[in-house]
Amino acid sequence: MMKSTDTHAGTNTVPAPGAISESEQISTLKQTLLKRIRRSAFVFRVDCGGCNGCEIEIFAAITPIFDAERFGIKLVASPRHADVLLYTGAMTRAMRLPGIRAYNAAPDPKIVISYGACGCTGGIFHDLYCVWGGTESIVPVDVYIPGCPPTPAATIYGFAMALGLLDQKLKAHHHTQGTDEEATLTHPHIPLQLRVALEREARRMSGYRQGRILANRFMALLALEDAAPFPERLQRHLDSEGDPRLSEVFGRLNKIVLRRPQW
Amino acid sequence: MRELGTPRRGQSYVDAIRQQFSAAVLEEAWQVDNQVTLTVDLNSLPEIVETLYYKHDGWLSTITANDERQLNGNYALYYILSMEGPVKSYVVIRGLVPPNRPEFPSVTARIPAMVWGEREARDMFGLQPVGLPDERRLVLPDDWPDGLYPLRKGTMDYRSRPAPSGGSETYPFLSAASGQTQEVPLGPLHITSDEPGHFRLFVDGERIVDADYRLFYIHRGMEKLAETRMGYNEVNFLADRICGICGFTHSVAYASSVETALGLAVPARARFIRTLLLEVERLHSNLLNVGLACHFVGFDTGFMQFFRVREKAMTMAELLTGARKTYAINLIGGVRRDVLKNERVRTLQLIAELRQEVTTLVDILLSTPNWESRTKDVGRLDPQIARDYSPAGPVIRASGYARDVRLDHPYAAYAGAPVKVHTRDGCDVLSRIVIRAEEVFNALSIIEYCLDQMPEGPILTEGFTYTPYRFALGYAEAPRGEDIHWTMLGDNQKLYRWRCRAPTYANWPPLRYMLRDNTIADAPLIISSLDPCYSCTDRVTMVDVRREKFATVPYKELERYCREQKASPLK
Amino acid sequence: MFKLLQEIARKGDVTAEYPFAPFPVSRNFRGKPEYAPTNCIACAACTIACPANALTMTTDPVAGSRTWMLNIGRCVFCARCEEVCPTGAIALSNRFELAVRSKADLMMTAEFTLTNCRFCRTPFAPTKEVNYVIARLVRQRLPQEEAERRRELYETCPECRRHANVMSRCRTLPAQEAQAA
Repeated sequence: MMKSTDTHAGTNTVPAPGAISESEQISTLKQTLLKRIRRSAFVFRVDCGGCNGCEIEIFAAITPIFDAERFGIKLVASPRHADVLLYTGAMTRAMRLPGIRAYNAAPDPKIVISYGACGCTGGIFHDLYCVWGGTESIVPVDVYIPGCPPTPAATIYGFAMALGLLDQKLKAHHHTQGTDEEATLTHPHIPLQLRVALEREARRMSGYRQGRILANRFMALLALEDAAPFPERLQRHLDSEGDPRLSEVFGRLNKIVLRRPQW
Repeated sequence: MRELGTPRRGQSYVDAIRQQFSAAVLEEAWQVDNQVTLTVDLNSLPEIVETLYYKHDGWLSTITANDERQLNGNYALYYILSMEGPVKSYVVIRGLVPPNRPEFPSVTARIPAMVWGEREARDMFGLQPVGLPDERRLVLPDDWPDGLYPLRKGTMDYRSRPAPSGGSETYPFLSAASGQTQEVPLGPLHITSDEPGHFRLFVDGERIVDADYRLFYIHRGMEKLAETRMGYNEVNFLADRICGICGFTHSVAYASSVETALGLAVPARARFIRTLLLEVERLHSNLLNVGLACHFVGFDTGFMQFFRVREKAMTMAELLTGARKTYAINLIGGVRRDVLKNERVRTLQLIAELRQEVTTLVDILLSTPNWESRTKDVGRLDPQIARDYSPAGPVIRASGYARDVRLDHPYAAYAGAPVKVHTRDGCDVLSRIVIRAEEVFNALSIIEYCLDQMPEGPILTEGFTYTPYRFALGYAEAPRGEDIHWTMLGDNQKLYRWRCRAPTYANWPPLRYMLRDNTIADAPLIISSLDPCYSCTDRVTMVDVRREKFATVPYKELERYCREQKASPLK
Repeated sequence: MFKLLQEIARKGDVTAEYPFAPFPVSRNFRGKPEYAPTNCIACAACTIACPANALTMTTDPVAGSRTWMLNIGRCVFCARCEEVCPTGAIALSNRFELAVRSKADLMMTAEFTLTNCRFCRTPFAPTKEVNYVIARLVRQRLPQEEAERRRELYETCPECRRHANVMSRCRTLPAQEAQAA
């Protein structure tokens, strides 16, 4: 199975030809930059190999509903005026040199942000022949903003974090299987065949998300210890919800229950 | 051949071709009632395609090549035509190209629309279009080694990254005006102000005489990915990311190509949900484009207001799919999310708000003082040129042709929906933008129809048999125009070949004609009226053909000139 | 122009308060996948379904362990993992504040022990997965001896199982032929 021997799992990135790595001197200068740009940060977008989804969400972040300019974030037209380089899209073969050129044009010190799944790692395209990887395959990256695309709120969070205004929330996590660690059985009181039939039907009717929610709700009603018999409980619930589609889905699930009374 | 339940649409075209070219037709295969593939003798192919195109109201959907050596010993070329005469159907003309002589007679001289498809067949398969004067690469980057054709089977692993061939980028730009090509090499790491850009405008003073462009900087290799790492269901999520603005349309076109190939019946409720979300996508895309048009005529407040209102469409998408963009809704056989009471009620609320707000904003826009002077008769796409190039969407509808896949080849739940095709005869930027605004209102009505008429039943068909080597077309009307996908199923639960063509691919080639005889100040507005699906170009080079000088400026500078109309970058 | 200013004044301040107040997302928003490793049986269904290879699994035959990995940087938030997981160990939450300074912080990993094949001793199946299957069957009132017999079967790797099937077939063949004669 290809995936179990996937050497590009995790964070391995093979640098593209001409990739730049950061010197000690630059790293120190960055600390002073961070203090200065809390007031206003000039951002230059470097559009590499994206589908444009990220570009549109960045536009949305500067428009009235989200108004990134409140934090002094301004988009500039030239890398020469930039404090922050915002790389979007996977690093395609064709954009390798333009991406490097933009980095070199922006004066030091500067902050590099990798935006979106494609920017962070190459995303869904990470191992393709025309993609070197994420932004880090050519230039050193300071902040990664995951998302596909990141929402405007996630974008604002990412910038606020890059500017040192908000704390990072996501941290690496490793789990080692404990002794006697076992997976919990869901719905242990519902017979296996019935549970599987209900979950399958719920998924066919309402999809993976709402289907699972509805199946769980149905099975909770089924297993409930109550004076009233199940059909009455069911009807009471449907009446209070007043949703014809919900009634239709639960009607189908009920038919499955009724089909085999010896469940 | 499978049993076809309904009468075949397009039989008349097949009969006409058989009558005129009887000796050249080798095989006739029907994929479904409105799709037929005729295999013809390769040398007769150009004339047959030309006949269907100009004599039988055919338009080019796309061209795809396929490496069928392991199936029948040859490469194959498929010219996919959307027949839009009295009977609407798809007719595909197929020619077999022998591997020991990988060339084929080009159709471009007869029909200009064929140019990109043929160049791409050369880039990706090494099939040489004989008689096509444009020798340049289209899709692969300049530093890609010669002689390596990514989509030929067995040539390379999808992960192979050949070393860059040469440290510089070269791309010759063509201009009919100067009559010569100008090749300008770029050094690897220099930024200078006279560095050539992705875009060339050939000018005489402020007037544009021609344009050329180097695109496909975002070529990632998706079609090969779909044959290798991914199974048929994962490709739905890849299709979502062909374009960040009309990705869902691509996902529907893809899913329906596989479903048609398999003869799968998608449940009615799923088709309605797809239709609903397709229109939600049209809302956000059209509002985006109209907002951008405001920006380019210098009406920035309008831009902000359209974006503010557009947020409601994004909220609608998030409510219905879990994300503002990349809906991740399709699977082969149906969809993954349902519409329950909460979603229904909230969506209807948002529709009402949108209808009211967009009415007000469009009103304001159309009565803005310089709006008409900036957009009327600007960027004209002559109807005859349009006919030769098969563009799609508002671009073609603004030049008087009522092309819209939702009515020409109904799919999903469009057959009974209140679709209105909006056309204009102005052929200009104004017409295109007005059409997009009108489509917003139509989209709102279609969404209401879908919610009102949403059928009962499941949203997913399961338990089908995946059969290799079947193939079919899938299609949908994106906000920009016709999305067309051609898929051949492979073994091991994967695809054998996936060809996806976005509408901008068809809309871009006639752009140079739309730019001619306009001023450079209008260029960004004209380009935006195309609603292009490509990453913003960062530099534009303007070549003055009379004074033989050139200047390279950031595209943003040209946009500034477009908005402010003063301080020309040429000075 | 006046109409436009009227319109803007009427709308008031539309800017969301985020980040000074929490940002409301839809009920079924597709945010960060939340993983409950205790419920994971390392079956690898999620790694097969993931279109972006954000979820991967590697096996260490020497240590006898299998490591599950999620790279949030590659994730496209499609929820296929949630869709295919048999135990509900992974589901998308509504968390979207995912920016990090170091790419190592984008990784989530979990290590599970593998059971060795009873015959060839190669580690091949996650212990938790075998135990989960047995527990489900026992819940279905499978008798204890039958459960133990099945455990022997489940703890035999496919290679050895094939071998055992062939051998047992060879043993029954002479008996059948004798009967037919």
